[in-house]
Amino acid sequence: MRLRGKVVFITDADSVSGRALALRLAAEGASLLLNSASGGQEIEDELKRIRQSGAEALVVSADLRRSSETERMLESAAERLGAVDILVHNNDLVAPISVENGEESVFLEVMDANAKTAFVSAKAVGARMKAKQSGQIIFVSSIHAEKPTGCSFAYSAAKGAVKMLAREAAVVLGRHGIRVNAIEFGPAEGDDELFRSDISMLYDSYRYKVPNGVLGTHEDLAGLVLFLASDESRYLNGADIRMDGGFLMHYMDFKTKKPYEAGGSP
Amino acid sequence: MSLAGRIALVTGAGTGIGQGVALMLAERGAKVALGYHSSDEGAKETRRRIEERGGEAMTVRANVARKAEIDAMAEEVARRFGGVDILVNNAALQLNFNFDHDDDAYDRQMNVNLKGYWQCMQAVIPYMKVKGFGRIVNISSVHGKRPTDFDTVYAMTKGGIKMLTRESAIELAKYGITVNAIEPGAIRVGRQGTKETKPFVPPELAERARAEKRDIRWKFPMGRVGLPSDVASLVCYIASEETEFMTGAAIRLDGGSMLL
Repeated sequence: MRLRGKVVFITDADSVSGRALALRLAAEGASLLLNSASGGQEIEDELKRIRQSGAEALVVSADLRRSSETERMLESAAERLGAVDILVHNNDLVAPISVENGEESVFLEVMDANAKTAFVSAKAVGARMKAKQSGQIIFVSSIHAEKPTGCSFAYSAAKGAVKMLAREAAVVLGRHGIRVNAIEFGPAEGDDELFRSDISMLYDSYRYKVPNGVLGTHEDLAGLVLFLASDESRYLNGADIRMDGGFLMHYMDFKTKKPYEAGGSP
Repeated sequence: MSLAGRIALVTGAGTGIGQGVALMLAERGAKVALGYHSSDEGAKETRRRIEERGGEAMTVRANVARKAEIDAMAEEVARRFGGVDILVNNAALQLNFNFDHDDDAYDRQMNVNLKGYWQCMQAVIPYMKVKGFGRIVNISSVHGKRPTDFDTVYAMTKGGIKMLTRESAIELAKYGITVNAIEPGAIRVGRQGTKETKPFVPPELAERARAEKRDIRWKFPMGRVGLPSDVASLVCYIASEETEFMTGAAIRLDGGSMLL
């Protein structure tokens, strides 16, 4: 029970990663504040399991692009759960948009969903952590903070922005005992569909570009989040940890573990 | 490296780095469109200096937070000069805040520095496609890598520009358009119209170095901060035909400061 007595705020709890994070962190004794656009509907099973295990979970549906709404939500959640000790920013929205023909509305939607929510939630939670002179902020980001997608430039620009937000916050909030780190996760099952590109072959045979030929899961992600949330990582600050099984070490698709029968190199 | 016959559009050309870049592009023979928003006088001054030396320049006003104004700017340049071959994205805001401003400040900072860079690219791509040649240079900052400590969203925009540069590099390669970024460190700007030839360090740093009997190279390995002309030289190189294989790069230009 490494998070006993801690209050963890997880954003976009409806996502696959959000659900895995909620289950894992609750199992370690954390009380959860879950931001869920569906008002908890899409995570009914998880909520049941979490509450049956005796852990506390409070569901909210705040628009994290707006400071005033976010502040209000945190204020009233604190009355129920106590102040947030750990923020896990987990918002992740991918939508196709090209540099040449992209629409401004799509750009803003993707930027705001990924980057503005990160800024607003870090700002609001950070101010409260500052009062206690302790806290952890974890940004669940993507390998596309480094590697272009070839299908959604706004997504990778947002992740590049979050990378710098994490570094800024590590310095600015770091003086108040708050640690801020980012995880650059990927690829997970289905990312070839999510990042379908006619420019880049990044996701062709993507499983085999991971040297060991095995994709990561959101449970793997939850393990790293737990480490970053716990005191075991107390000297980690301003780090962006790439968690990709070695995926980005590949050069094109040479020397992968893809079997010859499946079209791999002999 | 001559840029004779090339047409360049430089945003934020009324002051600082943009002005220095515009002057050198013109010196190398390019026709230069000077984009400006608030620095009306500065843009005129830049144009006067270019024309004095026999170059060709035009000024064009646009708020790069607004797509309609960006598109109108690109159209006007293309109409008067016959296209756009080189875009130098340089117009940027630096609002100096961390977590202590309202959401509007966030939007303002993002809309100019990141959305504006993208939409200026978008506006000139059609003209570059026609010629099968394009050079886009995004002026970023060392704060695309290292935090500022005083300007959180500004640093976020620079982190975004790094990825915008990489994405557009792979997307636009098929048109013969390259996209690269320059990440300058401390650049001496301000005091318009002065000749920037003397090595320069900020007075307070020079004073501290003297007091502590330290060589200023302890802070600036080359013995000075950068000048707009340092950035301009690199822009001119990237804008030339010699660099057609270089794309998606972000080149740190800080005299080695970030290595200390």
